[in-house]
Amino acid sequence: MAFEYIQGQSLMHRLDPRTKVLFFALVTVLIVVVYDPIIMLGLLGVIVLMYRLSGIPLSKLWGITKALLPVFIMFLVLNYFVIPPRGATVYFYLLPGIAPVTIETTLVGITSALRFVLFIWLSRLLTFTTSISEILIAMVKMKSPPEIATSLGIAFSSVPLMINQFSTVIQAQKSRGSQIEVRNPIKKGISFIPVVVPGIYLTILRGMNVARTVEARAFTYNPKKRTFRKMIRFGGEDYAFLAVSSLLTAVIVAIRILYGWFDYTFILRDVLKLI
Amino acid sequence: MASRNPVISCRDLRYTYPGTTQPALNGINLEVERGEIVLITGATGAGKTTLCSTFNGLIPHFYGGRIEGQVKVLGLDVKDTSAGYLSTKVGMLFQDPSSQLISATVEDEVAFGPENLGIPVEEIDKRTNSVLAYMELSELRDRPPFALSGGQQQAVGLASVIAMKPEILVLDEPTSNLDPIGTLNIFALLRKISREEENTIIIVEHKLQELVDIADRIVVIEGGKIALEGPPREILAEEAVLLHERGLQPPQVSLLAHRLRAAGIPIERIPLNVRESLEVLSKPLQALRGASTASPDGGSQPRRVTGEPIIEVENVSFQYPTGVLAVRDVSVKFYKEDFVGIIGQNGSGKTTLVKLLNGLLKPTKGNVKVFGLNSRESPIHDLIRHVGYVFQDPDSQLFSKTVYQELSFGLKNLRVPREQWESRINSVAKMLLIDSLLKEAPYSLSRGDRQRVAIASVLVMDPQVVVVDEPTTGQDPRKRREIMELMKVLHEKHGKTIIFITHDMDLVAEYAKRCIVMKDGRIVLDGVPHEVFLHYDELEGTHLKPPMITLLFKELATRYNVRRDILTVDEALDYLKSNLVS
Repeated sequence: MAFEYIQGQSLMHRLDPRTKVLFFALVTVLIVVVYDPIIMLGLLGVIVLMYRLSGIPLSKLWGITKALLPVFIMFLVLNYFVIPPRGATVYFYLLPGIAPVTIETTLVGITSALRFVLFIWLSRLLTFTTSISEILIAMVKMKSPPEIATSLGIAFSSVPLMINQFSTVIQAQKSRGSQIEVRNPIKKGISFIPVVVPGIYLTILRGMNVARTVEARAFTYNPKKRTFRKMIRFGGEDYAFLAVSSLLTAVIVAIRILYGWFDYTFILRDVLKLI
Repeated sequence: MASRNPVISCRDLRYTYPGTTQPALNGINLEVERGEIVLITGATGAGKTTLCSTFNGLIPHFYGGRIEGQVKVLGLDVKDTSAGYLSTKVGMLFQDPSSQLISATVEDEVAFGPENLGIPVEEIDKRTNSVLAYMELSELRDRPPFALSGGQQQAVGLASVIAMKPEILVLDEPTSNLDPIGTLNIFALLRKISREEENTIIIVEHKLQELVDIADRIVVIEGGKIALEGPPREILAEEAVLLHERGLQPPQVSLLAHRLRAAGIPIERIPLNVRESLEVLSKPLQALRGASTASPDGGSQPRRVTGEPIIEVENVSFQYPTGVLAVRDVSVKFYKEDFVGIIGQNGSGKTTLVKLLNGLLKPTKGNVKVFGLNSRESPIHDLIRHVGYVFQDPDSQLFSKTVYQELSFGLKNLRVPREQWESRINSVAKMLLIDSLLKEAPYSLSRGDRQRVAIASVLVMDPQVVVVDEPTTGQDPRKRREIMELMKVLHEKHGKTIIFITHDMDLVAEYAKRCIVMKDGRIVLDGVPHEVFLHYDELEGTHLKPPMITLLFKELATRYNVRRDILTVDEALDYLKSNLVS
């Protein structure tokens, strides 16, 4: 599930959600300035290390990565279609006359695919270590109305319930002979109508029930003065973590701008020269 | 009832829902005093829930509609007071437990109301902890509410209302998903709360005999009006026959006493429980002591069905992907002549077992053979031709524009030739009394009719076995009996094998020819109800209780020479009449 939270007491768990959002922004900057695939692999290594330190089983990471493989390949292949060879040696064409394969385009493709993986790994690391309620409280702290934070919270916690209801609908229709596991995509689409219609009905019903419940539990009594039981605090660890990661990012960005390091062939340049 | 300072007072209350013309409440006059426990009962659609919704202002502020007359709660006119404010004073538990759970964990759920009250965090934590401990939910505090059993969900819902410490508690069928012992525990808890906290409690319930000693007053609502009102003792005892005729469930012993009296047997007063019944019956039964003509085995009760089994479950275990072992090494056979009631506590594996019978689930160990087909090897498509499965909630399957199209869905899926459709649909529709509704839209029908459409949509595929999962949950006693009468017709007139799951012991006693009791994924008792319900201790171990009338005869049998295996009021009446009058 996209919002699975894994309980823990690691540094990543303890950090304020706002720190994590800023950290995410910093890493995004890094992803933009670094082009070298080997360094990108190094960054990925850092993320793996963070998974280990946060106590998240690496099997989870492998699960995510497996699902990403087709996208990874897609990124790689698409690059050949959009990046011109710029005078580099063309080894062959993927299709006659188009999509030239050169060392440079291959490296660019690998980097963009790795960037994508890094992006997903990091987002999942943050959602694994941040509970929904922390995110909502962060929203309230960042001055979003408490009504919005609470509605989002209820929506998220309704997801598993709705999944249960949908699977009941599927079972009920299977019991009436509906063949949902057909291969033909058009037939499959049609076979889902009996699932989607009761599903929509049940979802609307859920919305009505939630509205009624929230009203009956005095949510509209005085939302501005509502107590949020769990609080988040921006503490020493947050300052330290942000200081270190901003400094590293700043240094890398400065080197990139001043010396032009970290391009596609930054590390492999000498190796490539030999070829 | 006149009182000087009622916490709730309704005067000529009339209310009509938006988009309807028929008033749901039609002239209610009611006053409730502080600290009172009021039991509201009546048939489905009588207006019980509607009345309750006026107490916290959901009516008219949330639902809209037209309200006339006056409702005052703690001196405030609900028309002029926001539902948000009223909800801080009136805590309301709704009927369907899962519909009112909105948080990610049990703890968050219980804390949600107090958080809205804006009280300090320490106080919220204190309340949450004490309510969770009080309701024995502390171990579940980190679990997501949706993953709990229906009974646990109901307890969490109640906990989250109590944690707000409202002055008035309004509970709409708080035990509908609970087994008999769980029900008694909740009622005992309510009595404790009302004594310790001086809360006013309003309970909507169909389970009347369990509330005799708890409620101060009973209010019977019919067609949006108060039909009867008074102390439970008076109403339940004296008006038992009337209540029964109106489709409600008075204590079985009260009903029996009335019937005996009508048959000319001298009954001094109408009892409300087993103990009182023993006293009342002691005189007429004097004549019987030691001189009974009864044979202890009885005569007319159904015998165990045998013959060639049509479904064979052999050493079957089933484990869900979550790791829960829901069925453990179960072996059981079902026969063509079976009419089986499956009972057991929440989470005992009843639903999992029946889902194994039509291939919705495949056993993780062992084999299920359905009409000779092994459910592992045969696609569900082939199994459902023999075993039809009706889900509890009709809304989880109806999707067509008309009832006719809804019924043709299964036929189309099974590739039944089109020229047969009309005759099959018409005959099933007639059987279920929905033949006049074939052109209607399923969603526009009443809940009872939607359920009939759902049953029809399975029957039209003409399975030999019909499995119905909790067809009676959330229905009033009359509707429950209607559904069971329908099953009886399918069984007796159309030769169908019926397997049903229920929490209602009285229905099993009355309708089932065979009763299976499950506990922790195992079958612990399996036999004719007349045997099964005599295993009082085993039943109690599974959180179940035989019908009240059976418990009466258990006690009678220790004092007189009478049969123990009496399961229904009718049986008791026939038996006593034939032995006492002669």
